[in-house]
Amino acid sequence: MKDLQQLLDGIVDRAGPGEHVEAYGVDETDTTVKAYDGEVEALSSARTRGVGVRVISGGRVGYAYTADLGEAALAETLDEARANASVSTPDEANVLPRPDRDRPPADMPGLYDPAFEEVPAQAKVDAALALEAAARGAGPPVKGVDSATYGDGVRTAAIASTTGLRGSYTRCDAYVVVEVLAEADGASTSAYGLDMGRLLRDLDLEAAAAEAVLRATRLLGGRKPASAKVPIVFDPFVTASFLGVLAGALTAESVQKGRSLFAGRVGERVGGVHLTLVDDGSLMEGPAAAPWDGEGVATGRTPLIEDGVISGWLHNSYTAAKDGTASTGNASRAGFKSPPGVAPTNLFLAPGDEDQQALLARAGTGFYCQQVMGIHSGANPISGDFSVGAAGLMIRDGQLAEPVREAVIAGTIPEMLTGLGAVGSDLRFLPFGGGMGGATLLIEGMTLAGG
Amino acid sequence: MLDDADTKAVLSAALSGGGDFAEVFAETRRGRNLRLDDGKIEELVSGRDRGAGIRVLRGRQTAYAYTNVLTREALVDAARVAAAAIQGQAQTRVADLTTATPAVTHPAERDPLAADRPALVRIVQTADDAARGVDGAVRQVTVLYADATQDLYIANSEGHRSTEQRVRTRLVAQVVAARDGVVQTGFEGPGDAVGHELFDRHPPDQVGRLAAERAVVMLDSVPAPAGELPVVLAAGGGGVLFHEACGHGMEADIVAKDASVYAGRRGERLGTPIFTGVDDATVAGGWGSFSFDDEGTPAQRTVLFDRGVCTDYMSDRIRAAQLGIAASGNGRRQSYAHLPIPRMTNSFILPGEDDPDEIVRSVANGVYCRSLGGGQVDPASGDFVFGITEAYLIQDGEVTTPVRGANLVGDGPTVLGRVDALGTDFETRQGICGKEGQGVPVAFGTPTLRISRITVGGTG
Repeated sequence: MKDLQQLLDGIVDRAGPGEHVEAYGVDETDTTVKAYDGEVEALSSARTRGVGVRVISGGRVGYAYTADLGEAALAETLDEARANASVSTPDEANVLPRPDRDRPPADMPGLYDPAFEEVPAQAKVDAALALEAAARGAGPPVKGVDSATYGDGVRTAAIASTTGLRGSYTRCDAYVVVEVLAEADGASTSAYGLDMGRLLRDLDLEAAAAEAVLRATRLLGGRKPASAKVPIVFDPFVTASFLGVLAGALTAESVQKGRSLFAGRVGERVGGVHLTLVDDGSLMEGPAAAPWDGEGVATGRTPLIEDGVISGWLHNSYTAAKDGTASTGNASRAGFKSPPGVAPTNLFLAPGDEDQQALLARAGTGFYCQQVMGIHSGANPISGDFSVGAAGLMIRDGQLAEPVREAVIAGTIPEMLTGLGAVGSDLRFLPFGGGMGGATLLIEGMTLAGG
Repeated sequence: MLDDADTKAVLSAALSGGGDFAEVFAETRRGRNLRLDDGKIEELVSGRDRGAGIRVLRGRQTAYAYTNVLTREALVDAARVAAAAIQGQAQTRVADLTTATPAVTHPAERDPLAADRPALVRIVQTADDAARGVDGAVRQVTVLYADATQDLYIANSEGHRSTEQRVRTRLVAQVVAARDGVVQTGFEGPGDAVGHELFDRHPPDQVGRLAAERAVVMLDSVPAPAGELPVVLAAGGGGVLFHEACGHGMEADIVAKDASVYAGRRGERLGTPIFTGVDDATVAGGWGSFSFDDEGTPAQRTVLFDRGVCTDYMSDRIRAAQLGIAASGNGRRQSYAHLPIPRMTNSFILPGEDDPDEIVRSVANGVYCRSLGGGQVDPASGDFVFGITEAYLIQDGEVTTPVRGANLVGDGPTVLGRVDALGTDFETRQGICGKEGQGVPVAFGTPTLRISRITVGGTG
């Protein structure tokens, strides 16, 4: 069998006159081990490959994909993409990116560690068992471990196009995630902890288990809070979830389509000088690190809000051509089956210099929001309104106090940004829809509703 | 897809490590997605995916290997990888394969793949035109057409062999309306396990118009009230509530891990005596329907709550064995790349005896929800949250001002005990339910129903 790059080259070579063709391929191998109650519950291993073909002709774009990499299937896929293009509406912004000599993709050798291949299957099994044992071993009020998973994968992405882009990169990843159940006085809570790295040896299993145990047990006995307008401190996991919503309003696609509350507001102040929001796909420590994006454009650092002022949007080649600007390297792909969209890579708020304890002290009396529920239905990136279910702990005298459940926090995204009092120093990337930077946040004057 | 000799070779290799049970799940999936946005045919995506997963069970252990190379050699290799994860002596033999006959089938009358590209374009353009015609406040219209044709082959070491073709068609319209700085969205997204006969029941113009009307009506909304109130859910609109608040906790994997608020509560009365909830994969052409589940168990109807009493859990093969119950045919997977887990199919709250209009008239001060958005539940506590996408105040028994930006917050068992009126009407809605990273099509259905009190998380 030819290698992936050769297959892609073969497709691009068949481009007709006046036609642009891009072929994108992935080849990945994944392993997952789940432990339950001291035993391996499930072990899964997989190899999947596939190719997606984009054809642009006369401004019309079409896309087709195949998991069958035989010559005939690949030729058929190119024909399908062509036929699909024939019914699309012409748009001169439909362009394939060209190689940019001034900004070539960075070499990121650190994305792949050859030692990945040397990790024995037994070590992966042992890791899942050790993770589960560490969480279960915490004892009451921990009632059990809902799931304890070790996973890893190695993935090669390759691209070739008639504009001369050509290349491939390989990255490996390993992670553990554990969900703990706690119970006291007939009421249950659950929470998870996780860690990620390049390989098994980068992972701290004990810390992931301890995180899940702490997060589940400290919510036990939660009651509905009294409704009040109070400072709210976001847990890093909650911050990461909210960044996901914010990201939806900061892509050029949503701005161009009038689906962003920030449309037309570049240069406008939306928060204090300590509010800086950055996307950076070249950041090695982020879960979405890659030398180039879903259409071969170099990744890089893109400030979206700088010192409280909106500075720009995330672009792929299409949205950039529409705005007459350059792609920021944010073309996203959900594998070979999807044409490029626009999405954040590693998105984070520039960290401040105070730790979580200091932010709790600044809040004085307030609510520490550890979990939110229903954020994707309850937060509207178009209108900016949100209302989400929340669980956490009250803050009293600058310290975490009694637990709270079935609370609702509500407001608008602009109010939240204006109310952002401080970003904690505890930045940690979490794999929520790309790589979202979790950090403790202090937000003034939000509505906490109870029963 | 595979002949008997291939299958036997794969299953034998899978059992060579000492498994008690081996299974091969193979599929090809063809599909088309067409997206119209802002009047433009943005893209038509078509493709062919295929692959096979080989599962080996031994005691409480599962080993799984999958590949999208469908040669006998690649499949036997994958089977050996799975076998190697199980440590024991080979004992189980592969039984002779017998074809299972389905009790229910969901044939597509009008094959979506027979529709040419211009026909698909006309469907989305018709929905777009209708949406734009509703009101000048309509700013953005997105229409998505999707069809999927999945050909399945399932065989196992106990001698089961079945094949099935599942065809699904869906049309979704999303509309953004704006006026005086207020922006609202509307949605309509019918889908079924059918071909293009879907459009006889849900004409594309109606799909576009409904989405636009919902967005436009919400422009006049005021912030929703906060606090504990009586809430009436419109027919169909309450389905996601049942799905989240009661359905997930009745899935046997969550029950078996004692992580569900419903674990150990069979026979207990949790709901009001008028409340009966079922999961039914046999509904003709239902969005969540099939002939066999994704491990070959025939589709069936499972009563989850019988007149308020917690009755049967939804299970797959493994969890049924753990709980000592019969597998209920709820073992589903997103694709060959996933292990089957217990999932809902079409989950319904059955209609009651109350006049839907009378239910609204019975409320002096409350909220009428026509449509709920996505939701989330913590199965351990039963706590849930739903976003409200279309809702109105009820004042003195009349539906009045639309309200926005609210959630319903509560916990499943408490809400079951507060459903105190059920209408004679019934409607279904469709969605993709996510669990453990797997999305599967599910339908929700309810009559108009009243919850005597529930927390409304609004900002007004």
